[in-house]
Amino acid sequence: MGEITLKPKVTFKVPIIAETITPDNFAGKPIEEIEKLEMWEGNRKTTLGDLFEAAGSSGEAPADTKIIIEGDVRKVRRIGYKMTDGQILIKGSVGMYLGEKMEGGKIIVEGDADSWVGAGMKGGQIEIKGNAGDYVGAPYRGDTKGMKKGTIIIHGNAGNEVGCWMRGGTIIVKGNAGLFPGIHMKKGTILVEGDCAGRCGAMMKGGKIAILGYVPSVLPSFTFEEIKKSFKVKGEKIKGPFYLFTGDLNENGAGKLYVSTEKNKHLQFYEKYLE
Amino acid sequence: MKTVRNVVCPFCGSLCDDIEVDIEDNRVVKVRKGCAISATKFTKYNEERIYKPRIDGREVSLEEAINEAVEILANAKYPALYGWSCTSTEAINIGIEIAELVGGVMDNTASVCHGPTILGEQDAGISTCTLGQVKNRAELIIYWGCNPAHAHPRHMARYSAASRGRFVKGRKERTVIVVDVRKTHTAKTADIFIQIKPNSDFELLTALRWAVKNGELEQEEIAGIPAEKIEELADMLISCRFGALFFGLGLTMSAGKARNIEAAVNLVRELNNYTKFVMVPMRGHFNVTGANEVMAWATGFPFAVDFSRGYPFYNPGDTTFVDVLTRGDCDAALIVASDPVSGFPAEAIRNLAKIPVITLDPHETLTTMISKVVIPTAVVGIEAEGSAYRMDAVPLRLKKLVEPPPGILSDEEVLKMILKKLKERVK
Amino acid sequence: MELLIKNGYVYDPINEINGEKMDIAVKDGKIVESVSSDAKVIDATNMLVMPGGVDIHSHIAGSKVNSGRILRPEDHYKDVKPRTAITRAEVGHTVPSTYTIGYRYARLGYTTVIEAASPPLKTRHTHEELNDIPLIDKSCYLVLDNNWIVLDYLSQGEIDKCAAFIGWIFKALKGYAIKIVNPGGVELWGWGKNVESLDDQVPPFDITPREIIRGLCKINKMLNLPHTIHLHTNNLGKPGNYRTTIETMDTVSDLADGKPNIHITHVQFCGYGGDSWITLRSGAPEIAKYVNNHNHVTIDLGQVVFGDATTMTGDGPFQFILQNLTGNKWKNADVEAEGSAGIVPYKYKRKNFVNAVQWTIGLELALLIKDPWRVFLTTDHPNAGTFMKYPRVITWLMSKVAREKVLNKINKRAKKRSTLPSIDREYTFYEIAIITRAATAKALNLANKGHLGVGADADIAIYNINPMEIDPSKEYKKVRRALKRAAYTIKGGEIIVKDGEIVKSFIGETFWVKPAIPEDLEKDMLREVSEKFKEYYTVSLENYIIGENELASSKPIAVKTNL
Repeated sequence: MGEITLKPKVTFKVPIIAETITPDNFAGKPIEEIEKLEMWEGNRKTTLGDLFEAAGSSGEAPADTKIIIEGDVRKVRRIGYKMTDGQILIKGSVGMYLGEKMEGGKIIVEGDADSWVGAGMKGGQIEIKGNAGDYVGAPYRGDTKGMKKGTIIIHGNAGNEVGCWMRGGTIIVKGNAGLFPGIHMKKGTILVEGDCAGRCGAMMKGGKIAILGYVPSVLPSFTFEEIKKSFKVKGEKIKGPFYLFTGDLNENGAGKLYVSTEKNKHLQFYEKYLE
Repeated sequence: MKTVRNVVCPFCGSLCDDIEVDIEDNRVVKVRKGCAISATKFTKYNEERIYKPRIDGREVSLEEAINEAVEILANAKYPALYGWSCTSTEAINIGIEIAELVGGVMDNTASVCHGPTILGEQDAGISTCTLGQVKNRAELIIYWGCNPAHAHPRHMARYSAASRGRFVKGRKERTVIVVDVRKTHTAKTADIFIQIKPNSDFELLTALRWAVKNGELEQEEIAGIPAEKIEELADMLISCRFGALFFGLGLTMSAGKARNIEAAVNLVRELNNYTKFVMVPMRGHFNVTGANEVMAWATGFPFAVDFSRGYPFYNPGDTTFVDVLTRGDCDAALIVASDPVSGFPAEAIRNLAKIPVITLDPHETLTTMISKVVIPTAVVGIEAEGSAYRMDAVPLRLKKLVEPPPGILSDEEVLKMILKKLKERVK
Repeated sequence: MELLIKNGYVYDPINEINGEKMDIAVKDGKIVESVSSDAKVIDATNMLVMPGGVDIHSHIAGSKVNSGRILRPEDHYKDVKPRTAITRAEVGHTVPSTYTIGYRYARLGYTTVIEAASPPLKTRHTHEELNDIPLIDKSCYLVLDNNWIVLDYLSQGEIDKCAAFIGWIFKALKGYAIKIVNPGGVELWGWGKNVESLDDQVPPFDITPREIIRGLCKINKMLNLPHTIHLHTNNLGKPGNYRTTIETMDTVSDLADGKPNIHITHVQFCGYGGDSWITLRSGAPEIAKYVNNHNHVTIDLGQVVFGDATTMTGDGPFQFILQNLTGNKWKNADVEAEGSAGIVPYKYKRKNFVNAVQWTIGLELALLIKDPWRVFLTTDHPNAGTFMKYPRVITWLMSKVAREKVLNKINKRAKKRSTLPSIDREYTFYEIAIITRAATAKALNLANKGHLGVGADADIAIYNINPMEIDPSKEYKKVRRALKRAAYTIKGGEIIVKDGEIVKSFIGETFWVKPAIPEDLEKDMLREVSEKFKEYYTVSLENYIIGENELASSKPIAVKTNL
């Protein structure tokens, strides 16, 4: 496998649009050509070579190309845009739109990621070791084409609207999640292992959401169905028990919301509907 | 002395257009019909005025100030242009071209007030109307998270609760409901006051929609309101002939922001299956709506447009000025007709203080204090004319009543000069 | 500045020039007999030369269009172009920015476009946008049929005062023609209701849609307005509505005097047979039959093009039905004492039965109506598709093969029910010139537009295609490509497009009618109207009026009235 290492030459001030940093664009190219790839530094068109120190050699195909990014790239956006294969390893924190419209391959971030991780993602895997911002997997404003396939794993916390307009795939948040996980969701699975700020599955039409931690309340347009023993994510059984709700009934939705019974004693009153 | 009638008041989003102003010796001496805020603004617009352009606190000629502004904007890699809600549509329009030319972020103050209204609309739409429709037809009026008695003092009398229309003759023929976290002055005049738990608007709106759909509420209490009361309220909304929901920052800025608006839109949409229902945002600054309109027709997007790559890119949260500033992304700023320093988060202000700022404003503000270049301008609607859009997007023409102080030009004129110089410079 | 366009094949139907090889001389923005030897020469050898296109019905400016832009950011993301030394940044797609609209029409060889529906109270907004549409000349229709003052006067039988009011409103707001949108129905939408027939009452006005239409048709004649009443029917978008459409046409037949006195717009949307969405069929044959037998009617198509669209009309109740059918996001915007507007994003799909039937209806209308001077090309942009798709529609009209290619891909049931496969007619370039410029200019009574005779405005489109050699029936793709990007577009004697690119930009004129109203009548009327204004409106009469200085390039057209 070919490896290319990128290091920022300076500390970036303005946003860097780096949608050319993908194994697809790097594969089969010598360093000199990779350095010529177009980038934007604010309103100036520039090249990768002007902004980054590049070393190593790429593989023949995207599949055998790994890109390692060292240093602070919190201002750098759209890394892994539409990538289809190969790997990107970011050894720090990264800017917005990481892996936007990604189709395959893998991205690992050792630090935090800003908002819109995996925006409109269609395949592949993204793993964030730290925290993620808002709108994980979400599309742009007004659009309804959210994440369709693939997996996003966030080891830390995630912000608001995880999996907004999600159409498929899996999102796992090992820490806590903000408001509105699974808003407008149609299909796919969201697992939040920590607590959630609430309004899970607002306006969802389908798909599954499970919250293993605390939720302040369940939306009034969800109806309580039963207590379930477990929940499955990617074939793996997650032990409950869970309160299972269906919603969002306001949207004639048939989404499933699983909420830990143990961490949510304040929802016990729903059990009166069991008989 | 002369009296000018039907003056459009350039202060809040109500744009009352019936003001009478007496003018003597190029000065406004008396204001009739306007509210207290309007009267004060019309007569005291000369307080705290800036009379000379400045660079780094030093008084300079207009030409020097403009040259400096042009240099700053042309050299910046990611300039931001912000404000615009208290100037004419024409001035904003020129600002858009400047942003396009220098590859900057063009944003208006909607991003910190009713931006969520626009985002909610972009996901769900909105059933709305001009204010006269409410005046003529509305039997039921809800004020949700807004306090017109203070913020839009003549709104209730001219356009809503107490207005006299063709089919509904006045306050007695209307039912007024206020939803708020505390008993405001507006709430005290309401027929029904619903005191909601803070940050639970989304839950109440969702429950109301479900109740309108005749669904069963499984929780005994939602947002601090008993389920039976919510069902009762849903019945009231369905039963009126024409209902209107006015909403303010209490809804757009409470937890959930844009999603609160979306929930309200969905409730109103549902109600239209049973009766006629509309909603209207209570916009604050007099031309913030115009800023959204002109940006939309010129760039496709109503606020938060990033021209850094030559074409408009829009993604509030990324391209909104407050976020750009908080992340410390921009390296220069042009502020027109706004005072972000007085309201922005501390981190954003710290970052603003680190970069060259150009400010156009008639008055001394906290923002002018930290600006490298300050260019004083005329007060739009008193010293300069132009178009403005009311909160319901009705366009009106602001009048020029008196001459500005000697040497002071309008925002529009100053921006035109900057644009002209920039075109020569950027070429 | 002088121009000489040499050796092109000219199609100028108003002057009965049908593909003649000739030169066109231009001086100071007008067509002239001849020019000096200093004139810049454009070699149009083996090219197609026509007058600049005139679009009679398109939603390009104003509150409704801008609401569409705001509602649909997702429409714009992928259709952008950076600023150049000549042009502003472009942003599309179905609801493009003002600048984009001007550039894109110019690239198609269109030079005059009318905004189809401006509510009077928001017409200042319409003009502010028209001011920012570059290159083309433009104007707007004023929606007047659900206007309370009009309804009051008509129901009281005060037709003179009503005419005076409408005449005044054109002067005050700078509009061009009377637009009628679901008369009576939109007023009832103020209460969430609608009308279902021409004879339904519209309480509390004691008036029916039929009476509104007839009244406005009479007033149009009294005011001697250049265009006819421009009408969007009742029951639009409902199965079986072709009957309402024919009834509407017929309700003013007795008021005609040998010339057209009513224009029915985007007839595709009101040309539905059947009685439900399941039994839907085309009503085009019946409508075409009526139009062929009655010369008082003109229509435009509202042709559906498959793909993305944004529906936007002044017909609030119709848009409400559509949002319920689609579940898509919905904007409704009522205007006090005047009307409403609705917007719903829409995507026309080939395999969808209803959409496929809709597609056949527009083409059937164009092909079954014999007189091309009374049927005009529109997509009711952006309702049935964007104006950018005109070249595609033109090839469907010129080529049976092109139609069959689509027919083979559409919903089978729709194809089976349609008469379209049995129609052999193919439009000629001459007929295309009629339905896209000559006839529309004539219907608008724009004497200097839509033709290339001496004295006409030098608005000219030159397409890189040899009409003598090409067989549009077979080589329709070549025709489409040529029409998409004009070789030259000339506006007011200036070359604005070369090889499909904008080479020069400026602001065209906004024209509007200025009817002469007897002073006493106007005074009487205004005294009453200013009283009503206080009751009905939330703005003062003075602030309702739009100053001529608010138009970037104002062109009033004085009209002698019969008042």
